[in-house]
Amino acid sequence: MFRELWRRLEYLLHRRRFEEDLAEEMRLHLDLRAADEGSETGARVRFGNPSLFQERSREAWGWTFAETLWQDIWYAARDLNSSRGFAFVAVLSLALGIGANTAIFSILNAVMLRSLPVEDPARLVRIETSQNSSYTNPLWEQIRDHQTGFSGMLAYSATRFDLSSGGVSEPVEGIWVSGDYFRVLGVPALRGRLFTKDDDRRGGGNSGAVAVISYAFWKSHFAGDSGVIGKTLHLNRHPFHVIGITPEWFHGLELDHGYGVAIPIACDPILHADGSWLDARSTWWLRVLGRLAPGVSLKEAQARMKAISKGVYLSTLPPNWGANDKKDYLSRSLNVLPASTGFSETEKNYRAALFALMGVVGLVLLIACANVANLLLARAAARQRDIALRMAIGAGRFRLIRQLLTESFILAALGATAGLLFAFWGSRLLIRLLSVTGKELEFDLSIDAHLLLFTLLVATITGILFGLAPALKATRVSPNQTLKEGVGSAAPSFSRLNLGSALVIGQVALTLILLVGAGLFISTVHHILHVDAGFDTHNLLITNIDVLAASVPKERRSGLFADMLEALRRIPGVSSASSSVLTPISHSGWNQWTYPLGKHAASLEDENVYLNRVSPEYFHTMGTPLLVGRDFSARDSLAAPKAIILSETTARAFYGTESPLGKLVGMENEPNKPRDLFQVIGVVKDAKYEALNQDASLKTAFLAASQDIEPWSYVSFEIRSRRNPEDLKPRIRDAITKANSNASIEFRSFETQVNDSVRQQKVVALLSGFFGLLALLLAMMGLYGVTAYSVARRQSEIGIRMALGAQKITVLWLVMRRVWLMLALGTVAGTAAALTLGRLVASLLFGVKANDPVTLALAALALGIAASVAAFLPARHAASLDPMRALRNE
Amino acid sequence: MAVTSTRDEIPPGTLYMLVLKTLARHGELHGYEISRAIEQISGDVLQVEEGSLYPALQRMLLKGWVRATWGVTAGNRRARYYRLTADGRKRLAEELSRYGRVTEAIQKIIQPA
Repeated sequence: MFRELWRRLEYLLHRRRFEEDLAEEMRLHLDLRAADEGSETGARVRFGNPSLFQERSREAWGWTFAETLWQDIWYAARDLNSSRGFAFVAVLSLALGIGANTAIFSILNAVMLRSLPVEDPARLVRIETSQNSSYTNPLWEQIRDHQTGFSGMLAYSATRFDLSSGGVSEPVEGIWVSGDYFRVLGVPALRGRLFTKDDDRRGGGNSGAVAVISYAFWKSHFAGDSGVIGKTLHLNRHPFHVIGITPEWFHGLELDHGYGVAIPIACDPILHADGSWLDARSTWWLRVLGRLAPGVSLKEAQARMKAISKGVYLSTLPPNWGANDKKDYLSRSLNVLPASTGFSETEKNYRAALFALMGVVGLVLLIACANVANLLLARAAARQRDIALRMAIGAGRFRLIRQLLTESFILAALGATAGLLFAFWGSRLLIRLLSVTGKELEFDLSIDAHLLLFTLLVATITGILFGLAPALKATRVSPNQTLKEGVGSAAPSFSRLNLGSALVIGQVALTLILLVGAGLFISTVHHILHVDAGFDTHNLLITNIDVLAASVPKERRSGLFADMLEALRRIPGVSSASSSVLTPISHSGWNQWTYPLGKHAASLEDENVYLNRVSPEYFHTMGTPLLVGRDFSARDSLAAPKAIILSETTARAFYGTESPLGKLVGMENEPNKPRDLFQVIGVVKDAKYEALNQDASLKTAFLAASQDIEPWSYVSFEIRSRRNPEDLKPRIRDAITKANSNASIEFRSFETQVNDSVRQQKVVALLSGFFGLLALLLAMMGLYGVTAYSVARRQSEIGIRMALGAQKITVLWLVMRRVWLMLALGTVAGTAAALTLGRLVASLLFGVKANDPVTLALAALALGIAASVAAFLPARHAASLDPMRALRNE
Repeated sequence: MAVTSTRDEIPPGTLYMLVLKTLARHGELHGYEISRAIEQISGDVLQVEEGSLYPALQRMLLKGWVRATWGVTAGNRRARYYRLTADGRKRLAEELSRYGRVTEAIQKIIQPA
């Protein structure tokens, strides 16, 4: 059996030689017979038809199915080659459609489907509570020490370390990891050794402060030097010994970017000199994962985790929390969830946008399919005689359908191949578009089985979708009738025209949906960018400073920062400068329960106020007008009463129309400490705090930098300049380094920071706009094709009408009436669909409603004009027909 | 298309047996020689379109009943020579016994005792 198969394969590989051998053999036979008989003709008669025997021999090898397939492919290829225009348009529309789908899917695949490249990722689980996904170190230690059902557990926290020794910072992606991190993940050392439990011992292991570096970091920072083990690396200006390198394939558990340096969690006191997080019961910074023990199911692990939850929480209860918060804390319980795909901020932030885009590209593909189906219909009509002829000489309908479908699948396959190429650079382009300055995304977008399967599936479905109906239609002909009649004069088959019209109506509807979507997303970006942000983004440089906490005690920090600010203000070209603990639109925030003294708000949520602590001239520098009262000044010292400046929204919420000046505001600090009281000294115009599209009712307030009792070791300076702030960087660096040589500096343009915050909306608007235009183009092509086709079919009818005296305008109306009918039907269907689908993207919109009538009307208008233009060209052609010639074509 | 032939058509399925038997008797033959051999044995009675030998040979090659090697004829032309394999010999035995059974049965029917 196997030998037979082997011989078959051998035949397949050497088909040509087999054929030639056989031909030579038969030639020899004929020659010898002719010599014996003395007659060549006699020999031929005795032998029979050589090509028939050749054919039968071929069949003997059992490759006939494959060979007819090959014939079909060859025939289709030759056919497509002879109508290259059609093939080009069809493949291009499919390539764009399939490529767009594959590109978006490759990102979905990277962030949601692809398994981490670690040992047996399916057994990896994450521990989460319903409240949040991060843990304090005391919680982690309790879970680790009491868990059963896991062969190992790990904790980590993603962060950034500064590699510089002062001056402009050199950030590197870093991770805090527990001692078992690499062992549980099954990551071996490429060089040296990885962490052990000993390295993660409180107070430091036997090897002291140690670090493991990634392959990429080893290559980029140590040029792949094999002597790196044992060398010293400075993280935030503290020395760590490099003990090992991880393999090239390991990038950590965060998908958005790889890691550079890992250090044990127990090294925390070295970097957090202001207060270690190891015993902090309210600092949530660690992610916890586990590997299921052999034989333990997820469900069982969940049950065991639930069993220890109570004890874990009881032993880590933060003592200074209020009674309610304590009760809430003790009621939490630990859940076990699969973690095989890793973690991605992008997935969290862009999930809705990615799904919306997936829907958009799906619609584009449908439109492309409708287009190609229409082209195929027109082609089939042109080939009707050919098809009828073949049926007349005995080709089966199934055989012809197979032949026509082969053509469709060739188109789909070509489209998919070109689409993969589009997707390859398309997805990379998309990642670049989504990346935010200084935090480039580094997804693994390499082509994998998921992606290939997806493309294959899409291509197959596409091929069937656009190929089957036209093939069925085309072969439903009566050979007799078709062959008797001329192509041009065949009575238009109403059912075929209806299929073509249905496709156009569908296309119009889908295109309208895409245009409405594009309109909504573009208008969202427009609204976000033109919202009154309450500050001026131009020519403003943000300079983030971090001094070494261990070397600058808390009481000296305010003074140091004030000195730096003074030095910055003296730099020529600086028109004003200020400092703050946070900058707006920077993904960081600080909120506290705040209320006007004497009247508590109805609910806690109403007392939630977002805060910032700023220096004098902050509002002036940011371009936020002071409405009443005064700015912070030298008067607001530590000894003076604590001052607060409210935003207009906060002032209105607290005091209505009353003047807030001089009023007292209370603020809950820690529950067992007395509340803080602040006196309102001014009100400023509302300014955006966390995002340009934030809730308008968000309350903000500002405290004085000079009244900070426990300043952090980092601060931001806002520097407004008269010209390009980039030029000021060297002088700013000098001024800061002069004040403190250990300070690390990070520059950011405020404009970039703000623009980056609307990156997602911009990308969605850009892509939906692009795809909307593409859809419009495809729909125009479809309409043009169908109209031109129907004009060609009705040539004689039009000729007769004109011969009988019909005016050009009547003929135009005759054609356009049909077009407008299709357009109207498509628009109605599209509007209904757009209104239904709109709800799905409502969360992505800002400043515009999903059922915005203006957007709908504009989209319908644009579509109507474009479609009319597309149909007008063939209609005009029809109207300018010479009736005599049209009739003579019979 | 009407085919006029003075010779008898070969019974279907017997061609394999004839080829196998011929090869068993003569050892190594090329296609024309096989054809001639069958012709001589049957005394021109059993005749078939000679070309149909070739698809049959291909099928037998596939089944592994015969093996082929290229050689040179007396007239110095390249020719493919066929030889029986062990499988072919087994097959021949099966075909012969089957044929024997069938003819015996037919004999009994047409010559009732």
